[in-house]
Amino acid sequence: MVRSIVLRAFLLLPIAFVAAFLLAPLGLTIAVSFWQRIGLSVRPAFVFASYLTFFDSVRFEVLTRSLLVSIEATVLSLFVSYPIAYFLAFKARPDATRLALLLFTTPFLVNYVIRAFAWTYLLGRTGPINTLLTSAGIVSRPLDWLLYSDFSVLVGLISSYMPFMIFPIWLSLAGIDRALIQASWLLGASPSRTFFSVTLPLSLPGVFAAAIFCFVSSFGESAIPVIMGGVGYQLMGNTITSAMDVLNYPLAAAMSTVVVLAMTVLLMGWYLLFDMQSFLGKILNWRA
Amino acid sequence: MGENVRRSHALVWLYVGFVLLFIYLPLFPPLIFSVVTGETGAPAFTLSRYAEMWRNPVLTDAIVTSLEVGAIVAVIAPLLGLAAAMAIRELQTPRLILSLVLLPLFIPGVSAGLATALFFHLVGVPPSLVAIAIVQAVWALPFATIVILVAMTTFDPVYLEAAWMSGADRLRAFIDVELPLIRPGILGAATFSLILSFNETVRTAAVQGGYNTVQTYIWATYKQIGLSPTLYALMGLLIVLTLILVAGFLLVGARRRTG
Repeated sequence: MVRSIVLRAFLLLPIAFVAAFLLAPLGLTIAVSFWQRIGLSVRPAFVFASYLTFFDSVRFEVLTRSLLVSIEATVLSLFVSYPIAYFLAFKARPDATRLALLLFTTPFLVNYVIRAFAWTYLLGRTGPINTLLTSAGIVSRPLDWLLYSDFSVLVGLISSYMPFMIFPIWLSLAGIDRALIQASWLLGASPSRTFFSVTLPLSLPGVFAAAIFCFVSSFGESAIPVIMGGVGYQLMGNTITSAMDVLNYPLAAAMSTVVVLAMTVLLMGWYLLFDMQSFLGKILNWRA
Repeated sequence: MGENVRRSHALVWLYVGFVLLFIYLPLFPPLIFSVVTGETGAPAFTLSRYAEMWRNPVLTDAIVTSLEVGAIVAVIAPLLGLAAAMAIRELQTPRLILSLVLLPLFIPGVSAGLATALFFHLVGVPPSLVAIAIVQAVWALPFATIVILVAMTTFDPVYLEAAWMSGADRLRAFIDVELPLIRPGILGAATFSLILSFNETVRTAAVQGGYNTVQTYIWATYKQIGLSPTLYALMGLLIVLTLILVAGFLLVGARRRTG
């Protein structure tokens, strides 16, 4: 009896942990976003001052730019990762698939902040890419827009989050019942028709999970714009950090709430559209 | 295999190789800059930055803090991951549990960091190694859980039923029967958590207080004075350490498959 209570408590521990150290803090963030800021101190209240400051000023431009950059990063990352996941799921041998998935995971584990520092050298005016382009005669003088631009921020975001997007897409592609694809062939559908009306729709749970991951991570990214965007390049993430640095916690909380709200809406949509079991069934032994 | 198929496969592998180049390229500059000296004259090889690192007390403090926090995360996250993976199997609401446990993946670092910093401040938790470890463990939890879930799929629950029928209660059966079989998965989850802890900046920076991990030291120094050979050496250290841990993770996995 005691043992079964201990076991049950152990099983509930992760939920308690996430509730205490993620859900409660996020709830508190929403509360603080309505608090009042007087001088350098902050007082509990219910005012919309921080939201008005955010939506009323140049910071609103930060929101629109963040949305645009995150959507661009997500779409480009999907175009890069989907063919890889498709090839690994349908064409490559199992051992080659395992090796490739591993090769894609490893650099993802090295802090993306460190990788972003490296990119500033690689993309710089005197960096290897510009040197290569000029010495090969492709451009007459070093390209300026490679670094400290929307382009470099996109490179940073894509190399940070794209490798991890291959997994959910591969997972949903690998879970597709091959009989459905064969049926489509037998009924005379062309390969492209089969892809667009059978394979692609069935892989959407993974595609959208990957897309939400990339979009939300990019939307709230705070280090890449600082390192690769150059002076004054503001996205939601580093604008939140700047507000924290000047102790304007209600404003930081308001902007963070906007990001978390976007995440909540997207994840809710995913739940309404897709079934988790069909997507993750491969790694879960559900009790039926 | 037809000539056309082979050619198209070669093209795809070329594309895969190109994408791999794109994501591996950034690992090299820090390693190179940490060992190259003499910007004005001919470049020369040196390991002096790696040697000097240990004589700077601020850096050794940061390294020790990273190791201590990493050790705590590598214990907490796999334990919670194991509990979550078991709860997904045992309890009636697997979807809810899995969603909650995977949620940290979808919260940007700065939002998670800000939220926890506010929370700790209001609840009165002072900055400490444990506070930093908690923030990192939340981030590592989804990864640890997935690694253990994958390990559990290789385990046939029929063994558990056999143990129950032999009179073992659920806890006894788990410890004696399942745990030894999924131990490689738990070790893998610990390795993964350690790697994630060593490579975390944004969440840690929000709750670090007076403490510095290697990553927050790199970040703070970069923002104050920019990059230096010492910072590249620290990055090199973390890149090498991460690669070694990944290799360890693989060895554990390889032993599981052959053992």
